[in-house]
Amino acid sequence: MNEVKLTQLGIKDSRDLLNKKEISATELTNAYIQNIEESSKLNAFIEKTFDKALMQASKADKIIGTDSQKSLCGIPLGIKDLFCCKNVKTQAASDILENFIPPYESTVTQKLWNEQAIMLGKLNMDEFAMGSSNETSTYGPVINPWKSTGSHDPLTPGGSSGGSSAAVAANLCTGATGTDTGGSIRQPASFTGTVGLKPTYGRCSRWGIIAFASSFDQAGPITKNVTDSAIMLKAMSGFDPLDSTSAKIDVPDYEQELAKDIKGLRVGLAKEYSLQNGDSEANRKLEEAIKILNNMGAEIVEVSLPHTEFALPTYYVLAPAEASSNLARYDGVRYGHRAKLDTNDSILELYEKTRSEGFGTEVKRRILIGTYVLSSGYYDAYYKRAQKVRSLIKNDFDEVFKKVDIILTPTTPTSAFPLGSKGTQDPVEMYMNDIFTVPANLAGLPALSLPVGLDELGLPLGVQLIGNNWQEPLLLNTAFNLETTLAFENNPKKWWA
Amino acid sequence: MEIDTETVLKIARLSRIKINEGESADIQKDLNRIVEFVKKLGEIDIDGIDEFNFGKTNIEDIRKDSVTIYDNTDDILKNTKNKNQDFFTVPKIVE
Repeated sequence: MNEVKLTQLGIKDSRDLLNKKEISATELTNAYIQNIEESSKLNAFIEKTFDKALMQASKADKIIGTDSQKSLCGIPLGIKDLFCCKNVKTQAASDILENFIPPYESTVTQKLWNEQAIMLGKLNMDEFAMGSSNETSTYGPVINPWKSTGSHDPLTPGGSSGGSSAAVAANLCTGATGTDTGGSIRQPASFTGTVGLKPTYGRCSRWGIIAFASSFDQAGPITKNVTDSAIMLKAMSGFDPLDSTSAKIDVPDYEQELAKDIKGLRVGLAKEYSLQNGDSEANRKLEEAIKILNNMGAEIVEVSLPHTEFALPTYYVLAPAEASSNLARYDGVRYGHRAKLDTNDSILELYEKTRSEGFGTEVKRRILIGTYVLSSGYYDAYYKRAQKVRSLIKNDFDEVFKKVDIILTPTTPTSAFPLGSKGTQDPVEMYMNDIFTVPANLAGLPALSLPVGLDELGLPLGVQLIGNNWQEPLLLNTAFNLETTLAFENNPKKWWA
Repeated sequence: MEIDTETVLKIARLSRIKINEGESADIQKDLNRIVEFVKKLGEIDIDGIDEFNFGKTNIEDIRKDSVTIYDNTDDILKNTKNKNQDFFTVPKIVE
C-alpha cells in the first residue's frame, strides 16, 4: 500500500490492517511523519515528537497479535497543546508558558498511551483555548486544508481546536484530541469536514488539561468518521480520582453501539436554532439530514428552547469569570515567562509585567472582563444573574428531553471564513460563531458535529446532534446512521505540499 | 459607558496586568462592547431561580486527605532559571 493511501485511513481501518499484519505500526507512523513534514504550511503541528512516536511504534509492532495488545495499539494520534504531556513542551499556545515542560501527564493522554496509541506531537490552538478561529495562537494561525472554490484565500480551520481539526482533515494523524468549552471541538470539526464530539461534562477527566473555564471544559475526539470517534472516546473516558468532577459511571463500548436501528427515535428541531438564510445550501443540507432520519423511521418533533438567545451573554460572563480565576496562577514565579525587571521593581511589578507581556490581547480581555463581573458591586448583576440564567437554559433542555431523544441543529452559522475577516474591530463578532454550540456547554450535555456535505463555496458543513446526559451511544449511533447514507468524503485538494 | 478609564485601571490592577497608556482606550472600548452584549441578561426575570449546579456531587469520591511525598523537585525546578538550591527566587518582599 502506498503512503498516501495509508494516511487516508482512519483509526478503525488502520487498526484492522495492523491486526491483519498487512501494515506495521512503524510503516504507518513513518507515513504520517512524512505527511507532517510536507505540510508545514498548514501550521498544525507546533511540537513534533517523532523519536518518541517511532519508539512507541516499534514497541507496538512487537505487541500486535499478542495478549498484551490494547485498543489503540500502533495508532498515531495528534494532541492539542492544552494537554500536559510529561517531558513534552506544552504551552497552551501562549507566551506565558514559554518553554514549559510538564513534569506530569494529563489523565486523558495517559489513558491513550495506556491503550498503546502513538504520539506524533502537539497541535496548534487558540491561546488558552480562547478563540474561534485559531488566530489568537502565539504560533500564528492554522490554515484550513479546505479552500473556497476558485479562491486562494487562507481560511480558518475553526477554533480553538483548529490544529486538531486541520491535522485530521489533512491526513496528518488518524485522530486528534480536542477540548470544548464553548464549541472548540464542534466548530472546528464543522469547518474541516471532520467528526467532533464533546462528551457529557464529567465523562473525561480534566486533570492535566490546562484549565480555561472549569465548569465547561471537556475533552473529546476529532476524527475522520463516527466509528473512530466511538473508539477514541472509549479510550479517553472514565472516572479519575484526580478530578472530583469526573463521573463514576461505566464507560460503554461505544463502537458496539453503532449500526443500530433508529426506528422510533424522536428527533427535535428547535426553532431558535434556525439559519438566517433559509435559501442556502446549509439549510438544504440540514433538511436532507432530517429527511434521511425520517426515512429511517425517526419521528421529527418541533421543539422550543426559549432561553437560547441568552446563552452567549451567559457564557461570556461565566467563562471569563472562571478564566480570570484559573489564569491567576501564571505569575512568572515558578515556570514559563518572567518579565525582565528594573532594579527597584517589587514582586507586584514581577506579576504585572510578566502577565502583560505573556498573555495575548484576547486572553487579557477575558481576564479583565472576568475580574470585572466578579468584582465587588457587579457580582450580583452579572455573575450571580448569569448563574441563574444558566439554570433556565438547562431547564429548557430538561423539558425538551421529555419529548425527544435527540436534538438536531446546524453546528455553525456559516462555513469556514477567511483568516483576518472577523472580530478585528469588534470582539463580539467572533463570539457569535459559537451561537449554536455554547448552549450544550452551559447545560453540560454531550453534542457531536457531523459533516453533511459542501456549501455553495465548496466548503464543508456540519450538523450538530445534542443528547441528554450520558447519551453518547445514542449520539454516535444516530450520527453513524446519517453518515452511512450521506457518504461525505473528506478530500480537500492538496495545495499545501 | 459603564466602564470608565478609572475602572479599567482598577480591574487591571486587580488582575495584576499592567496596562500601558497607549492601549487603555482600546481595552476600554472592547470591555464596554462586551458589557453591552451581556447586559441582555438584565431582560430576564430570575426571581425564585436557583443558581446553576450540576445536580450531583462526588463527595463520596473525594480522596482521603492524606500526606503524600512529592519527590519530583528537580523536574519542577527545570522550568525556571530563577532558583537558589530548592527554592524559587523572587524580588525582595520584606524590607
